Amino acid sequence: MVAVFSRFYSPEEFPFLIYLTWVTSFVLFVSFVVLSTYLIKLRKALRRKEKERKDCKLSYEPFIIEYLYSSEDPKVLTERQHEIIETLKPKIQSASQRKVIISILYNLMNEVSGEMAESIKLFYYKTGLIEYGVAKLQNKNWYVIAKGIGELTRFNIKEVHQQVEPFVNHERKEVRSEAHMYMVNLFHFEGLTFLDNLDVPLSEWNQIQLLEVLQKIDNQSICDIKPWLNSKNDTVVIFALKLAEIYNQYEVNTTLLGLLNHPNKNIRIAVIDALTHLYGIEAVEKLKANFNNLSVEEQISFFQMLEKLVMPTDEPFVEAHLFHKNFDIQLLALKILKSINIDKYFEFSGLPAHKKSQAMLKLTPTN
Amino acid sequence: MSKHKIVLAEDNSTLSLLLKFRLEREGYQLFLAEDGNQAIDLIQDEKPDLVLTDVMMPYKSGLEVISHIRNKLEKETPVIVFSSAGQEEMVLKAFSLGANDFMGKPFSPNELVIRVNRLLN
Repeated sequence: MVAVFSRFYSPEEFPFLIYLTWVTSFVLFVSFVVLSTYLIKLRKALRRKEKERKDCKLSYEPFIIEYLYSSEDPKVLTERQHEIIETLKPKIQSASQRKVIISILYNLMNEVSGEMAESIKLFYYKTGLIEYGVAKLQNKNWYVIAKGIGELTRFNIKEVHQQVEPFVNHERKEVRSEAHMYMVNLFHFEGLTFLDNLDVPLSEWNQIQLLEVLQKIDNQSICDIKPWLNSKNDTVVIFALKLAEIYNQYEVNTTLLGLLNHPNKNIRIAVIDALTHLYGIEAVEKLKANFNNLSVEEQISFFQMLEKLVMPTDEPFVEAHLFHKNFDIQLLALKILKSINIDKYFEFSGLPAHKKSQAMLKLTPTN
Repeated sequence: MSKHKIVLAEDNSTLSLLLKFRLEREGYQLFLAEDGNQAIDLIQDEKPDLVLTDVMMPYKSGLEVISHIRNKLEKETPVIVFSSAGQEEMVLKAFSLGANDFMGKPFSPNELVIRVNRLLN
């Protein structure tokens, strides 16, 4: 088109700007046509693929449902179940069809439990889907590995734990998280042994997910958490402190007292909170003696501890901090004083008797 | 004797099929709905003896389905609600709207059959 245009209208007759506009318009027009064609083809391809996926799903669903209802005992396969497995085995070799079958099973595993879930697991083994799941662990792409571990977790495949375990320290947090979830979902408290060798940080979100899984387990007898309290990985220590609080691990109080001198401030604060929860009365004197060397956050945590574990002998200490520079500490000191010596509290309030109760409510709200 | 009719409202087609297969084996007649709108249409047309509904569904939720049965149709048809973990508040709302029973996912289809039998027989 540029050549045709140039034949009739030589560039000399037109200013350069008009010529450039024509060329740009032509290039944009061609790009628009090419991109539109590409998008139309892409849309058609995606629709075709989606239709194929839906058709595949519709054709495999009845097979799987029939398989699940063909036996009374989920551990023993009937002749019909063998036939269904043999029918589906060749289909599984195709990646797209395998994906459809996995998604059907995955959906079912999320919705049903009991014998049905056992039957689905057996189907996963017998069709050879497990081999594809395990093969994902050898993939060079991290997202395939993460997906593979997720799949093995969902289908409750315990036998491959030795292959999954090295991923607990993987460089990608997504893979690590899946590996941690695998260990805890399948081996419960015993699965937490991965914390022994954890060299990378355990994210807050990951900790929440692990605790959620652990709380759903029927057998709530927790293992020994002391080794994790002494871990070199600070996030493991924080997680162990959470376990100590949630599972009321009174037997670790002595270890917690030692952690009050931990170099990490966040851990020291978490230790004070844990000791408060576990009634670590021994910590009170230790912290009182070292109070002026503590950070303000630790001092606040300590006063929160005192609020719960205060003794009449602590009164002079509390009184000495009624005018602390930090408002939270002032308020906590007043609340504590109110709980142990209300007359002294009134002296400090310095208000007429008929207004005392209102002043108390304002300053020291009742929990 | 005619079969008891059950409307099952569930957007997971595999689970619907699985439950249909199981409940039909128990002698019930199943009508499947993929979303809340279809469920309401089926309830109005088929006048079922029992409704099984998921809480989270496209277009209209399970709660809206229950509300439609109790407030608009003014029927006492028994309703069993399915809910996933983390939907406890929804379950409470379902009960306050008039649901008769609930099952948390994942659930055992055998247990569902027992609950259905209890409500219908």
